[in-house]
Amino acid sequence: MSGIPRRALQAGGVVGIATLVLAGCLQNPNASGGSGGAGGGGTIVDGGSADNDKKVTILGAFGGDEEKNFNASLAEFEKSSGIDVQYTSDQDFTTTIKQKVGAGDSPDIGLFPQPGGLLEFAAQKKVEPIDTFLDYDKLQGTLLTGFLDAGRYKGRVYGAPMRNAVKSIVWYPKAAYEKGGYNKAPGSIQQLQTDVADKIAAAGITPWCIGWESAQATGWVGTDWVEELMLRMYGPDVYDDWTSHRIPFNDDRVVKALDEAAKFNKDPKMVLGGTKGVLTTAFGNAMTPAFANPPRCMLHRQGNFATTFYPKNVQADLDNQVGIYVFPKFEGGYDGQAILGGGDLAGLFNGNDPDAKKVMEFLTSDKFGGPWAKAGGWLSPHKTFDTSNYPNETTKKIAEIANRASVLRFDGSDLMPKSIGSDVFWKEMVKWEGGQSSKQTADNIEAAWPKS
Amino acid sequence: MTAGTSAAAPRQSLRADDDPQAALRTQPVKIAVGLVGMILTVWALGNLFLAFGFYPEKFGSKIVIGLLAIVAGVGGAAVIFYFLNMFVEGLPARLSEGLIPYAFILPGFALVALMLIYPTFQTINYSFANSDSTAYVGLQNYRTIFGDSEFWSSIVNNVLWLVIVPAVVVAFGVVVAVLSDKLSANGEKFAKSLIFLPMAISSVSAVSIWALVYSYNNPGQAQTGLLNAIWTSLGGDPQTWLQISTAKLNSILLMVILIWLQAGFAMVLLSSAIKGVPEDTLEAARIDGAGEFQIFWQVVIPQIKGTIITVFVTVFITVLKIFDIVYVSTNGQYGTNVIANLFFNKLFAASEAGQATAIVVVLLLAVTPLIWYQIKHFRDEEANR
Repeated sequence: MSGIPRRALQAGGVVGIATLVLAGCLQNPNASGGSGGAGGGGTIVDGGSADNDKKVTILGAFGGDEEKNFNASLAEFEKSSGIDVQYTSDQDFTTTIKQKVGAGDSPDIGLFPQPGGLLEFAAQKKVEPIDTFLDYDKLQGTLLTGFLDAGRYKGRVYGAPMRNAVKSIVWYPKAAYEKGGYNKAPGSIQQLQTDVADKIAAAGITPWCIGWESAQATGWVGTDWVEELMLRMYGPDVYDDWTSHRIPFNDDRVVKALDEAAKFNKDPKMVLGGTKGVLTTAFGNAMTPAFANPPRCMLHRQGNFATTFYPKNVQADLDNQVGIYVFPKFEGGYDGQAILGGGDLAGLFNGNDPDAKKVMEFLTSDKFGGPWAKAGGWLSPHKTFDTSNYPNETTKKIAEIANRASVLRFDGSDLMPKSIGSDVFWKEMVKWEGGQSSKQTADNIEAAWPKS
Repeated sequence: MTAGTSAAAPRQSLRADDDPQAALRTQPVKIAVGLVGMILTVWALGNLFLAFGFYPEKFGSKIVIGLLAIVAGVGGAAVIFYFLNMFVEGLPARLSEGLIPYAFILPGFALVALMLIYPTFQTINYSFANSDSTAYVGLQNYRTIFGDSEFWSSIVNNVLWLVIVPAVVVAFGVVVAVLSDKLSANGEKFAKSLIFLPMAISSVSAVSIWALVYSYNNPGQAQTGLLNAIWTSLGGDPQTWLQISTAKLNSILLMVILIWLQAGFAMVLLSSAIKGVPEDTLEAARIDGAGEFQIFWQVVIPQIKGTIITVFVTVFITVLKIFDIVYVSTNGQYGTNVIANLFFNKLFAASEAGQATAIVVVLLLAVTPLIWYQIKHFRDEEANR
């Protein structure tokens, strides 16, 4: 028995020594990969593959059919320019790109599904500002208003959009909605309530179809609702202040936006299944009861990707089965029509390769994307894109909604720090839906905001 | 070190009697060939595997790479050991006798050190650093996690899991083992296979299966969840079972999944232990007039106590690390969070490496005494055999 204390002592000693040995072994805070050739302090970023070799490597998040359509959209360009574009898709793009850039093995071009990752590289000077190789003013003129701001870091823009996603759409089952004679273009959220939702409720149908369930990511649908309302009630400036934490998360305005979101999401008379239904319905299945006969709910607010989850027969006959209008502005709030969106931003890692610059120029122009648009599921971020490429009326209408919007803002949770935007915000929204007060929810998120 | 050489001493003197010169003879050729061979092999293997990573196109297809990797890995290990053996044999016999066992465990130990021990200490080190492990922040991470209500609720849940699951698994295992022992040979086989079957299912699949039991449909719709179907047929309203944190109901429902998975494991071990109880002790007890219950509690249980403890501790450690069931079913929401899931979310969802490692260190500290106890218990068992 006397051996045990001695052994414990030895073990303790080993632990102590090993920890001391390792103390100081942290990661290099400014690990810089592939920037050896940057030379005398110019702004040229020199990552990526070899220059001038008529080969351009691109890393992105989308695969499968989307990858096929992406390549098809580039085929003609590749033929005319003689540049070979090599696209690699990676499901875990956000992590992979960090590893690759950190290891000095960055692609020439990265397609970022969320601006957060791009801005991180911008802060580390790993990505080339677009004004050094693209015609900024021309882009500004053809892009949807506000799109370039998503890639802005300290005044300069580092990413140009190559894809657009529109979230502010209200979907309804066309036949039943028209039969009920409800307003097909409510001018404000208040009108949507009194002129549409209340009337649907009076007809014995629960108006809203909402589902939040999304496995480990449950709650993001809720954050979208808060973002929509923040943007509409207080306008893009306050929205930017909110997402960048220039105003605290538990600001009164945020609490009010949460209260407003509660009218849709927490009232069992307004939303199918009440709060329990919202939390247990998968976001992709939320609209399904609207296609029952008679419909069990009528209104669904979701992005343009919602169609991919609709029943097969609805998808096949989209234009006749569903109708859409824009999620309207808030009376007494921001004057113009605001749109919540998203999209892929292209960032250039190799500022020395003229081929890569040419590819960037084409990718971010309104000429790119015809074949992809025809195949469906892709929207151009340019107002000047030829809408006849879109496969159906519904998609054309969505593009029109985006074009007519006076301002576009990116999904706010993508702009917030990761610990908030893809963790605490989601989880607190779930608690909020489960009965936690708006004030408490905002306070909790503010308390969890990373200090530094 | 001193213990090693003194133990080798008597053997070495024996050997010296057989062949007096062997103890003194050094074979420099063997040493040199062995050393150079080892270095060359490691160098060649290193280059080969780097080539797999950097120039995969040179090898044709991934299958070729896979096959080459298996051949080179296994063959290379054999070659390294061959040269290692040659090297040690080249040393003077008195040295080589003592060294051989160490030389042969060295590669294994080096791998364990690289894959297990080094990361452990690096984790402890990182737990004192900031969210991307680039600067030290002292005890800040520990202060943050200890001040976080989510952390404490995870601790409470972990303790609940630890109190309930191993005990229930062992109890259930003993009951099934005893009862199945009384069945006919075929009946026993069938019953045991049925209960052992879930062992073959991964936790993630198990959660998917149980999701069908706990699932919820809006009132008025047909209830596809088994539990809700029963509940509504008895006149209740459909419930979102995994969201009810009253009396930790949702946590307990998740525990049921793990119990279902682990019961088979406990049963198999306990069943064989029960079958190992000598018949004459039971007979003696019967002759002395003991009832079946008395026999069970006072004759059988003491004799299978060792196995019970082994099963209990094994399940206990499984439960300490419980992660997948919680992650897949609720991801820790609705008050069901546990330490491992909290850690995962802190690291991967929130990118807070400092806090995440601090949580793991707490978990490590909690597990250590148990592992120590298990090893000690295992040793005692071996000694009694």
